[in-house]
Amino acid sequence: MSINRDVAHVTCLGCGCSCDDIHVIVRSSRIAEAAHACAIGVEWFGDGVVPQRSIHAGRDVSVEAAVHAAGELLSRANRPLVYLASDISWETQREAVALADALRARLDSVTSATARESILAAQECGRASATLGEIRNRADVVVFWGVDPALRYPRYWSRYAPEPAGMHLPGGRRSRTVIAVDIDGAPNGRGPEDADRRVRLTAADEVATLTAMAAIASGRVTDGRASTSQAPPWQLARELAPILVAARYAVIVADAERDDAAGARPDPARASALVMLAQTLNGPTRAALSTLRGGGNRSGADAVLTWQTGYPIALDFGRGYPRYQPHDGTAGACLSRGDVDALAIVGAPASVTPDLRATMSGVASVVIGPRASESVFAERGIVIDTGVAGIHEDGTAVRMDDVALGLRGVLSGPRAAAPLVRALREASAR
Amino acid sequence: MTILRIAGGAVYDPANGIDGEVRDVCIADGRVVDDVPPGAKTIDARGMAVMPGGVDIHAHVASSSVNVARRLLPEDHDRDPVHAPSLDEGVARSGTGGTVPTSFSTGYRYAGLGYTTVFDAAVAPLHARASHAEFDDTPIVDGGFFLLLGNDEYLIRQIDAGERERAREYAAWMLGAAGAYAIKIVNPGGIERWKRGDRDRTELDTPIGSSRVTPRAILETLVDTANALRLPHAAHIHCNNLGIPGNVATTLESMRATSGRRAHFTHLQFHSYATQSGKTGGWRSGARELIEYINAHQETSCDVGQVLFGPATTLTADGPVEYMLYKSTGRKWVNVDIELETGCGVVPYTYEEKSAVSALQWVIGLELFLLSADPWRAVLSTDHPNGGSFAAYPELIRLLMDRTYRDDQLKRVNQKFLAGSALADGLSRQYTLNEIAIVTRAGPARLLGLRGKGHLGVGADADVTVYLPDSDPSRMFATPRYVVKGGTLVVEEGQLRRAPAGRRLHVRPACDASVERDLRRYFDQYATVSFDNYPVGVLADAPQPL
Repeated sequence: MSINRDVAHVTCLGCGCSCDDIHVIVRSSRIAEAAHACAIGVEWFGDGVVPQRSIHAGRDVSVEAAVHAAGELLSRANRPLVYLASDISWETQREAVALADALRARLDSVTSATARESILAAQECGRASATLGEIRNRADVVVFWGVDPALRYPRYWSRYAPEPAGMHLPGGRRSRTVIAVDIDGAPNGRGPEDADRRVRLTAADEVATLTAMAAIASGRVTDGRASTSQAPPWQLARELAPILVAARYAVIVADAERDDAAGARPDPARASALVMLAQTLNGPTRAALSTLRGGGNRSGADAVLTWQTGYPIALDFGRGYPRYQPHDGTAGACLSRGDVDALAIVGAPASVTPDLRATMSGVASVVIGPRASESVFAERGIVIDTGVAGIHEDGTAVRMDDVALGLRGVLSGPRAAAPLVRALREASAR
Repeated sequence: MTILRIAGGAVYDPANGIDGEVRDVCIADGRVVDDVPPGAKTIDARGMAVMPGGVDIHAHVASSSVNVARRLLPEDHDRDPVHAPSLDEGVARSGTGGTVPTSFSTGYRYAGLGYTTVFDAAVAPLHARASHAEFDDTPIVDGGFFLLLGNDEYLIRQIDAGERERAREYAAWMLGAAGAYAIKIVNPGGIERWKRGDRDRTELDTPIGSSRVTPRAILETLVDTANALRLPHAAHIHCNNLGIPGNVATTLESMRATSGRRAHFTHLQFHSYATQSGKTGGWRSGARELIEYINAHQETSCDVGQVLFGPATTLTADGPVEYMLYKSTGRKWVNVDIELETGCGVVPYTYEEKSAVSALQWVIGLELFLLSADPWRAVLSTDHPNGGSFAAYPELIRLLMDRTYRDDQLKRVNQKFLAGSALADGLSRQYTLNEIAIVTRAGPARLLGLRGKGHLGVGADADVTVYLPDSDPSRMFATPRYVVKGGTLVVEEGQLRRAPAGRRLHVRPACDASVERDLRRYFDQYATVSFDNYPVGVLADAPQPL
């Protein structure tokens, strides 16, 4: 049956902004338009047509047969890994963690490969943050630290800050000071074009600059360096810190998702320095760090893992309870050691980072997720296509600031993911 | 559904005036019934104490803020791994414990203590979805949450405009939209001031941006709203200036501001600090003044928020308090300002016997219990995990029931701030089992307006706990022999055997549609979630009758 419908207030999971004002127009069972969506959102929605196959050993089989074979594979494994990829709802993620628990498997998500440093920094030091609406309504100084949101988070600017008018900033962009910090030598490290002030520093000076800013903001610098040092970090800190300290509510925006495609390297010291600067600014004024996160409900996986296991990423149920191994127990680390003999990916294989996907493709695998049949895993593994959470399935997903939002499926699609993962758990029960 | 006779136990059912009388409790279809047919499954409870299932009126167990705390504390979880229980029925999941256990462990552990109902005391409306999801993964216990409205921008605007009626309609709408159970007020106006960068103390008449908006006006509005809407529970109030010496005056002023009206003052211990006259930096107990006020005012109630020595995690919507703790302890700190609604802060903390302030806090909590004239209106809590874990309730019960033990403990603690304290001067009172049954189940259930809970009369929910008396009450209350939840035998011979899903307790008061029109405009202007996406939608369990 061909379906035409218009659905308002749809939540887009194209990036972590999770804009929930998308108006989707469906014509002849295809998405004809995703109004209000940015380019990333338009691409994420696409036409909504997804494959509906289940494949085992290179041949199309029934979903039931695929689940049965997958259950056998996982129940025979000694060191299985359950991996949460993107474009699945909280409801599916909850089932996936239950699967890992039942299998005594390792468990990890996309986050460990892309945003681990900010997670670990927040566990080490805590964080000073705010939901995006708080930034919209209060931030009078916004620092884009080595990031232009236009590239990967296009509507951050217009929905959150600096563009919209806020409760305490009725003038919108005019009532805010925007500072662009360009990081030379960092991939895509330039701040936004539209800035009231722009500074440049090298990637090598980043941590020193953040630390010097925190030192000045804390008011505890007593030797001469703060006022006299000609080292670039101190010069920059002397320029920027007073602006932040004078703000009513300062926000530092930084990208927590590593831009692998652009060749970024993980930097734990940078993540910690950002947290500590935002915390320190809460002495003289109010401040928050806004960490940008990618789409597909990847932050949602952090939340579900945390409430069910106590840990947001990279854990091992091997002893019958979760053990946290954020360094040597990530999917990447385990796979590169050859310490995984069966893999269950729940979510879109396309969201797995390319190098990890390459390592994964050598392991016996089960994939339950959107476009699984179009992935490299279809050649040798067992794959079952599902719909995309938020396009073909309702449910819940999480914005980059941990605000949970309802999803509105606009199209009917393949089998829903959560019951399939539950069926897989039952099929693999040993 | 189980048909069950719990035979020959000493029944403590204070709501029905039964104090240790030996009788049978019969269960069918999830409820307490008059009798069951001969041949029904029988638990031999001879020599045991039978009570209604425990009801926790104030804990932090299922919310976005709780999850913020969980994420902050991997080291706390590392120390306390939890294997999946071996169950005959229900979901068996592993997890981790510590001060902020995982959701499944939380359900198992509450049931393992004989508790069958738990309320999360602080949920931002924006995070209501997260709370429901966490409760869905918290087995066995019936759960609900209180909604943070005491720093809400829309509400503040209505108060500023003199629109108290609209404020009431708004609260009614919000409760239904969030699927919440009661109204919570945390540091009224004070969190908004923290967000605005105002750092001085918030007193009852401190203006919040406008002279018409004060903590007093917020308290009055929301206390009246809870009563006008006939909510099952009164407005649940965390007063201004938590943790600050001298705050007893603020607390007393807050009580007077709401006098004559039903109101619940939570974790009163944290609000009972007086100062020593003539000494800067000297604290002393202000417990007597406050509990005497509660004693004399039938319309008021409190839970204690007892502190127990050992590790804790402070987590609260009261952002400025956590900043203060961060600065004073140097430990790690999370702050999350939550748009248009409230705040959130977390700092891990340890209460130490050798610390003068910890010792005073411990003493004040016990004084509140021991000077209370009416256990129905001064009930047990540790503000889990703020004052200590719910797992420490048995230890707290021992302190209440065993004077010798209590006096021994008192000798061990720092005495610096204890001069003139009632406990230091000697309080001989020992709680009876009947009084323990009141402060842990009958009292909280009554204060929460839960007609089917906290008692064992015919028609009550079949939530029953059977304890084996022990010379050490902490052993007795730590390991019940049997626990029945909604008619299902969840603990048998001291072992967790079944883990059914709990029910959600929530209300859906009627509200005027005109508030929705106005709210839609407000959301368009200031919110980042569409108005149409804001409500959590229909919950599986029906709302509680009003």
